[in-house]
Amino acid sequence: MSDKHPPFFVGYLPIPQGLKQWLLLVSALLVAGMAGFGLVMGIAQDDPGPGAFRFDYGRQTVTGVVELTPYPLVRVTEGNERIAPGTTLMLSGQGKSNVDARAIPLEGQLAQVSGIVLQRGTLNMLQLRGGRNGMSAVEGAAPAQSSKPLGRWKLAGEICDGKCLAGAMRPGTGLAHKACANLCLIGGVPPVFVSSKPVDGSEFLLVTGPDGTELPKSLYDQVGEYITIEGEVERRGDLLVFSVDPTTVGEPE
Amino acid sequence: MSVKYTPVQWNNNKWIYDAIMLAGVGLFLYIFLYAAPGILSHERPINPQVHNARAFGACAFVMMTVILCIGPLARLDERFLPLLYNRRHFGVMTVFVAITHASYIVDWYFAFSMSNKYEALLFANTSYGQLKGFPFEAFGIFALAVLIILAATSHDFWMKFLSPPVWKRIHYLIYPAYLAVVAHVSLGILQDQQNHAFTWLFAGGALTVGVLHLLAALKERARDQALSVAGADWIDVAGVDEFEDGFAKVRLLPDGDRVAVYLMDGKLSAISNACAHQNGPLGEGRVIDCLVTCPWHGFQYDVRSGRSPAPFTEMVPTYNLRLQGQTVQVDPKANPPGTPVDPIAIPQGAVT
Repeated sequence: MSDKHPPFFVGYLPIPQGLKQWLLLVSALLVAGMAGFGLVMGIAQDDPGPGAFRFDYGRQTVTGVVELTPYPLVRVTEGNERIAPGTTLMLSGQGKSNVDARAIPLEGQLAQVSGIVLQRGTLNMLQLRGGRNGMSAVEGAAPAQSSKPLGRWKLAGEICDGKCLAGAMRPGTGLAHKACANLCLIGGVPPVFVSSKPVDGSEFLLVTGPDGTELPKSLYDQVGEYITIEGEVERRGDLLVFSVDPTTVGEPE
Repeated sequence: MSVKYTPVQWNNNKWIYDAIMLAGVGLFLYIFLYAAPGILSHERPINPQVHNARAFGACAFVMMTVILCIGPLARLDERFLPLLYNRRHFGVMTVFVAITHASYIVDWYFAFSMSNKYEALLFANTSYGQLKGFPFEAFGIFALAVLIILAATSHDFWMKFLSPPVWKRIHYLIYPAYLAVVAHVSLGILQDQQNHAFTWLFAGGALTVGVLHLLAALKERARDQALSVAGADWIDVAGVDEFEDGFAKVRLLPDGDRVAVYLMDGKLSAISNACAHQNGPLGEGRVIDCLVTCPWHGFQYDVRSGRSPAPFTEMVPTYNLRLQGQTVQVDPKANPPGTPVDPIAIPQGAVT
């Protein structure tokens, strides 16, 4: 064999002497490179935010007035050490499901709700237990609940589903999460607008369609996207409700 | 070479190759899954399912990138050829990693609803008319389907069954699959990144694949131009004194095929440059134990007949040669695969 030809590798024969060091070097670089990529990619992940299922609180049971926006809410009138009276709880069923069937018959009435809290900043949601254990009528007259109109706003931010945002998933926002959020919205989970700037102290607003309707399906294309949109904002307890006009959706400048 | 199909024809080098690749994959996943979270200062951790999905997805991308770099690297520097030898095993590993990524995604993001999770994967996001918010999952589904097809047909049985040209064309789908992965990541997780380290690594990996393929293509084009000849009945290959025993001279023929003219024991023979296995460049191999040996996977042929030694059955076309003075010429019309041709002796003293 001439010296001008490099060592010739044949897979089923022993590795030529002249290639052994080279292959050791390449192998070491490859393994070290994979380890390095694993480290850099692993530590490049963004903070998913503080939302979480509060399993550490245990099951919470409170009483309040059921309202429909049309998404069901409970305005807490009789709380506990974790959930104070005046708190407004968005409601969801197990997984990506709603509690409409249980909440609609109780609209405007006093009800006891029980489940696991999801919490992110000012946003509170209760994932109800199944059946009457999760929601049942309570004897007595429902105290009147006030709401305060805050006028028309143009907000920049993102529409997402309130449950993943509140902590069911970390992260629970963004375009990579869009299909999951859409699936939640299809299941009737309350949508939430994450505003780039706080409105009356809160960056999270329950978002509905105009005039007490559900979020229009036309806006599902914009879920997870950074947009601007206009609508009426109303305060219900410690929760803001943003009733959007879908014709005003636009891109932030 | 194969005469009887077994799941894997193991040898020491394959064990070593797989062990090294598994060590790389294992380290990547271990560090991403168990070492990195301790370094992150998040108030609350990323969901384990999302974390796992990201680890396996990122690993699959890095593995595909490495796989696609091996081919051009081996064309640019033949010392990388040993990485090519058992590349299909690394490809099969990649499929398992990619399936794990997809499973975590489907079982997390698309579960927990009233709908079937696989149906939900298809209908949850239908914003196909826009770039932002495009259902990037579709690109991932395509890439995964291709990877599964490639892994399922990676065995030599399928190459024989489908024929090498069809098999090769199917396996070129790795390039659309890689582009689909690039689109999947670009329209998905990259849209949400605040820390751009992953973005840079991702772009660097994809760019490396592109640049290496471009460099390899330029090198091959330059070599093809040097090898090319005008159409003629007989084509000059080289002077008799330019041959080296056990090695070949390669010429590009007018029909686009290449011929490898080998000198063995003072006699010249010509066979197709394309190995019957995976079109490996036989002219870049050498004679071992009186047989031309392919540099890619070690398939062997008798240079005088283009046939693999019994009991193997692979065959490549042969070509007729003649001497015109001190110049070796080849007839560009190939003989049917496996046609014996008498070697031609060259004058003594002409061999280097």
